[in-house]
Amino acid sequence: MTVNAEGGRPTPIIELRHVEKHYGDLHVLRDVCLEVDKGEVLVVVGPSGSGKSTMCRTINRLETIDSGEILIEGEPLPQEGKELTRMRAELGMVFQSFNLFSHMTILDNVTLGPREVLGMGREEAEAQAMELLARVGVAEQARKVPAQLSGGQQQRAAIARSLAMRPKAMMFDEPTSALDPEMINEVLDVMVELARGGMTMVVVTHEMNFARRVADRVVFMADGQIVEQAPPDRFFDHPESQRAQDFLNSIKGH
Amino acid sequence: MGLAELLGTYGQNYLDGLLVTWGMTAVSFVFVMAIAVLVTVMRVSPFAPLRFVGDLYVQVFRNIPGVALLMIVAYALPYLRVILDWRTCAIVTTILLGSAFGSENFMSGINTIGVGQIEAARSLGLSFSQILRRIVIPQALRATVLPMTNLLIAVMLTTALGSQVPMTPEELTGVVSYVNTRSVGGILAFLVSALGYLATAFVISLAGNRIDKRVRVLR
Repeated sequence: MTVNAEGGRPTPIIELRHVEKHYGDLHVLRDVCLEVDKGEVLVVVGPSGSGKSTMCRTINRLETIDSGEILIEGEPLPQEGKELTRMRAELGMVFQSFNLFSHMTILDNVTLGPREVLGMGREEAEAQAMELLARVGVAEQARKVPAQLSGGQQQRAAIARSLAMRPKAMMFDEPTSALDPEMINEVLDVMVELARGGMTMVVVTHEMNFARRVADRVVFMADGQIVEQAPPDRFFDHPESQRAQDFLNSIKGH
Repeated sequence: MGLAELLGTYGQNYLDGLLVTWGMTAVSFVFVMAIAVLVTVMRVSPFAPLRFVGDLYVQVFRNIPGVALLMIVAYALPYLRVILDWRTCAIVTTILLGSAFGSENFMSGINTIGVGQIEAARSLGLSFSQILRRIVIPQALRATVLPMTNLLIAVMLTTALGSQVPMTPEELTGVVSYVNTRSVGGILAFLVSALGYLATAFVISLAGNRIDKRVRVLR
């Protein structure tokens, strides 16, 4: 593990420094500073439109930023080209709408990245894929195409697809928001397992129970700003800011 | 002249014409598809000048009547010292027209692919060309089997431009002129050729439907 020159502290896996972003007149990210350490599970919560998904997407440059810096293991996120694709390959991303490749079988979805990007052979990639699909509980769906799976199964397959790249960290952008209620837990269970296995995770979610159970730290965003960050117990039981108190009151009973 | 006499005298010409039409159609369509893919890749590339050239290609060749384009290829290109034989002129014209329409088909096929899949592919670290080859083009092809079936039929009909230039052997429409300058075949001479086109188109659309059912992407 690399160590910072200044302190004895390990270099964060992901670091955002004074990140700013506008959509036209809309100021979607305001001076966002954030560090995610190796093995840490960070849960980002906040009202819709608070910029939490946008922030998550800037980390592998699916969204560009206007100013500030994003560092992956101390290295600035590349702007373009091969450097950027290599960096992206090291960061997993799970989307709200699964985004499986609809013309491929589940197995091909999971082997595509390793074969195309990591240069893995077919046999090795398929063996790894089957192992991962078994781990997320959809091994028996391997030969089907995405449209034949339930939403929960698709999302678990999408997680396997991400894991197949052996990422240093994984981002989850509202992974259960598009799911029917009865399927949410099967996806969250997989994520809990991942967290317990030591995966570095940034999770944007509305699942407060998940946050309470799994998060090392909860980050509360509103109006494009990080308003508050705290361990889950402290955040949920004693939120400091008025915005966080209002937010938690507004979702009570859900 | 009755049907029996017509076929008795010119049956071989019609058969040859049909084979020439099929041959020209096949050659044209291979190039139509290849160029359509190429032009479409240009049109979705991140490089603005390429996008411009791709769009221009489509706008130009989609909007010129086939006969006018044939005149340009056959009679204007020689001024640029590009002299093609007559058959090649008809085929090149067909390819230029067909590929412009083919690219439009591809574009609509590409639009059926959710932006989310592209983002997922980028997140895996796939490059632009890998995303094209593995995600975009396969899905665009599968989504456009039926429009491309229509295009194949249109390409076949466009090869009738060959009747406007001297060709030996003639294609199916040219055969009609050949027949009618020698005998009085009248409408019947046209009907025989029309039947050749119709039957071929029927087989093409049957095949297209089959292929579409097999490869269509479930959503």
